Amino acid sequence: MNGDVGFFRKLPSALPGLALIIVTMVVIRFWVEPWMTSAVVFGTKGWLVKVTHLNYILLGIICGMLYRNVLFGGRMPDVLSDGFKLSRLMIKTGIILLGSLYTFNAIVQLGSMAIFLIGGFVVLTIILVLWLGTAFGLDRSMIGVMANALSICGVSAAVATSPAVEAKASHVAYAIATILGFGIVTMFISPFIGHALGLTDLQYGAWIGTGILNSGQVLAAALAFNPNVAPGTAVSVAEIWNIMRVISIPFAVFAVTVWYWSGKTEEAEGGKRKGLGTLLVEKFPVFVIGFLVMVFLTSMGAFGDVGLKNGPPASETIKMMRVWMTWIFGFGLVGLGGYIDIKELKQAGGAPLKLGLIVGVTKYVLALLVVFAIKDYLVAI
Amino acid sequence: MAKTGSETIGAAGEKGKMTLFKDDRAEDIGAIILSVIVVAIIIILTMK
Repeated sequence: MNGDVGFFRKLPSALPGLALIIVTMVVIRFWVEPWMTSAVVFGTKGWLVKVTHLNYILLGIICGMLYRNVLFGGRMPDVLSDGFKLSRLMIKTGIILLGSLYTFNAIVQLGSMAIFLIGGFVVLTIILVLWLGTAFGLDRSMIGVMANALSICGVSAAVATSPAVEAKASHVAYAIATILGFGIVTMFISPFIGHALGLTDLQYGAWIGTGILNSGQVLAAALAFNPNVAPGTAVSVAEIWNIMRVISIPFAVFAVTVWYWSGKTEEAEGGKRKGLGTLLVEKFPVFVIGFLVMVFLTSMGAFGDVGLKNGPPASETIKMMRVWMTWIFGFGLVGLGGYIDIKELKQAGGAPLKLGLIVGVTKYVLALLVVFAIKDYLVAI
Repeated sequence: MAKTGSETIGAAGEKGKMTLFKDDRAEDIGAIILSVIVVAIIIILTMK
């Protein structure tokens, strides 16, 4: 448990960075957002919100990016860096709490169409990456990591796959830089595309829950489209689609591992093989279990009424949970912005970047077209 | 293989880690514990 002891020992050093994150979000939500809503620009009241669709989520990420890349010259000062390292803890905590938006009954209603679509995109993306990566002459370990990074939820999948395909740290870093670079672009343009096309929360959530690669960026893009947290909103739809994609990690790791080892030459036979069972136990993101427990408790009525359409209004506990969620996500996404280093993204040059862009764009556009094609079959939960 | 440790961007060592925890698993468990604390506080605050 050295790591846990290390965490508590490091916690005091995280306070300055945490304070900056909290102050940033408080200023954005109490002063910047209200000002943007009432400010008259180009003769229109609230132009900044109506036209740019900037909200506390996007502003938080932008502030984090500005801190790192402009104010501090590309590197977080040591005094602040430990605080920003809490950002993923907050995002994961928020996603667990997000389980209070769903009931198992509602998830079942999501329907076979959604499950088929999510599974289909995962399988087809893996096949496309394996084929293109081989055609581009990439290292097999690199291809394996990219296959799962691009097909599921980006970073977690890349890390989970790496030991199974004997990937070097540089392969993982390269894959992560590629998917995060692509994800940053999609995170910012998706809300504009969604509003321009007049997508509903359901259509938009289904699209980005399928088409955007990284879980944190799915969350950001959903909240940027509609900052409300409630059943049926973009974040509610996108996250359940994304969580279902995350749950497919063990199956995708299994498939890519089989592909990797089946192509190994005989000289590698004596190499150290990774036990698949051990691998899955070690790498499965267990916070997803926390999310499922939250869904179970909500389904059992532990927190009162959820506030589904045509049902009784949400309980006070559920209402307060949603307010806290928006703050927790806000803090986490300021921190996420602080990790976007423009210089590091340049690491993703060359063939892996080409592979990532081809597959990423294909998936992003195809997901939008498919969501349009099946919009009548999408089920709001 | 160098231990990747976490969702690292461009570096595999302690400096590049995106978490205060020793790895992703510890962070996941930390998130679950934090969620329990948050839920407990909210339940207490909304108790009648």
